[in-house]
Amino acid sequence: MTPDPHSPFRNPQSAVPRRAVGRPLVLALGGVAAALLLPAVLTGYWVRVFATIFMFAALAQSLNIMAGFTGYADFGNTVFFGLGAYTTAVLTSKGGIPVLPAIIGGGLVGVTLASLMGLPLLRLRGHYFAIATIGVLEAAREIIANVPFFGGGLGITLPLFAGRPEVFYRFIYYILFAVFLAYTGIAWWLSRSKFGYALRAIKADEEAAAVMGIATTRYKIRAWRLSAFCTGLVGGIYAYWLNFIEPPMVFDIMISVKVWLILLLGGAGTVLGPIAGAAMLELLQAFIWGRLLRGHTLILGAVIALVVLFMPAGFMDLVRKRFSLAAVLADLRANKI
Amino acid sequence: MSLQALVNGLLLGGVYACVGIGFSLVWGVANVINLTHGALIMLGAYVTFWAYRLAGVDPFLCIPLAMAAMAVLGYVIQRCLVNYVVKTGVFMTLILTFGLQLVLIDSALFAFTGDYRSVTPTYSGAGLDVGGVIIPYIRIAIFAVGLLLTGLLHLFMTYTRTGNAIRATALNKEAAQLVGVNIGHIYAVTFALGAALAGAAGAMLSTLFAVTPVMGNPMLGKSFVIACLGGLGNMWGSLVGGLVLGIAETVGAGLIGPAFQQAISFGLLVLILAVRPEGIVGKKFFAEVKV
Repeated sequence: MTPDPHSPFRNPQSAVPRRAVGRPLVLALGGVAAALLLPAVLTGYWVRVFATIFMFAALAQSLNIMAGFTGYADFGNTVFFGLGAYTTAVLTSKGGIPVLPAIIGGGLVGVTLASLMGLPLLRLRGHYFAIATIGVLEAAREIIANVPFFGGGLGITLPLFAGRPEVFYRFIYYILFAVFLAYTGIAWWLSRSKFGYALRAIKADEEAAAVMGIATTRYKIRAWRLSAFCTGLVGGIYAYWLNFIEPPMVFDIMISVKVWLILLLGGAGTVLGPIAGAAMLELLQAFIWGRLLRGHTLILGAVIALVVLFMPAGFMDLVRKRFSLAAVLADLRANKI
Repeated sequence: MSLQALVNGLLLGGVYACVGIGFSLVWGVANVINLTHGALIMLGAYVTFWAYRLAGVDPFLCIPLAMAAMAVLGYVIQRCLVNYVVKTGVFMTLILTFGLQLVLIDSALFAFTGDYRSVTPTYSGAGLDVGGVIIPYIRIAIFAVGLLLTGLLHLFMTYTRTGNAIRATALNKEAAQLVGVNIGHIYAVTFALGAALAGAAGAMLSTLFAVTPVMGNPMLGKSFVIACLGGLGNMWGSLVGGLVLGIAETVGAGLIGPAFQQAISFGLLVLILAVRPEGIVGKKFFAEVKV
């Protein structure tokens, strides 16, 4: 569907520039080709690092649907990740179901939870919604940890991949890359479809959107379902990747935090922000944290504070400002109360 | 349900009230979800621990010291960092304070190591026996201090110029600026008050729990529940929220099993947000609830 150029809420936050398609397309194809060839030339360690980058980029892209486009601060989206991981683990280890359907089952459980929570929780806005989602995440972890069927605190072991480890890690790499590409496609679609415009109208001004005839509740619930499905799928893949999961590992609020940081680093509501943010954070981790025994969280905390202070609109915004210190400081002063 | 369980719940609620009140104040007035609250509680506990260890100061006498130290730190955090972010969106302050919390906790880990420390005055473990129901002295003292601090905060907000300025800012930021309130300063004072209350809570918690760099994390989670139960920025609401949470956890643990204590408190949080986001006693004064 071609967007109406006179639409009042055309492109309120999106950073997708309407330029010629040629050069970006070549760059995108080059990037995809490079990503496909990487496992052939890299060592196992770097394949793992890049697989992690794609995983977090995919998670950030899923969060982008809710937080970036719709403007709802889902701080507990990790609950879908954890449920996806647990569904996959239970289906494969206790139900004997093959991995791929089990992973999709993990996404569907997320959709179910999002549908159930949508009506009561999506009425809340701003901080209240964020806190409610944190509450759901924490409560879910405690419940899973204390129900013997889910293995309790002992966790669950998944069936092993039949094949050599290198093949397995390449399989995981490609599946995560494919998922990431698909989610980027969804974000691209959101940046130009009617559904995406409706979501961004809700973000810009929910009352105005409702007045313009957008069924805000229905659109918000749909967006949350989509976000939950995408997150749950990645959770299922993660469980299969690690072969063993326990509640504090997959219902970890630090996953939420990392995904949020990636979204902020890259720029919320942009199509390519998540991959830029994920690459920055993971490479920082690989190059700096890998050399330190202590002080990881100190650096992470300082990075978070610096990002929020100096680039609140994300890395893509910094690029647009051409890395001008004067512009950054002027923004900082303008924001001071 | 035994009487002892009910008494335990009430006394635990007194502890929670102390933990939640500062958090609720900052959220209600400045619209800042202060995720450093748990870390400030932890630092308050360390101030108390070192005063007790090095100079033999009684933990309850150390409360003013911990409050003063945290107030200074809190003022600096808000004035020099958070004030620059408040306008960029409600959610950025949440992320910023999360980063600061990581820095504070990891710094504490560097400075004090992860060793479990404890403050053990002579009266710890002792209690009053009222017809078979044991009431530990420390918990009843914490309850009393919690009431006292809530009362003092109420007096401060009602009868001082600064307190009135804080309430005016909470009610309407722009209007407060029009009548000459420097809201940058008022936000920082509010944050300092919240931090001081966190310091007091930390000083008292050091007598109940092990003092470690991560001791504040569970308390941060409880603060959310207490603040939402009581209504944001509502001072007496925090007391009610703390008591409700304390009783719900103790009674719930008795009914379902102690392992579900955390699940109960977060379930309560989600429930109260879904059903009554303005809190149990909330009147829409301090924080305008947007539903």
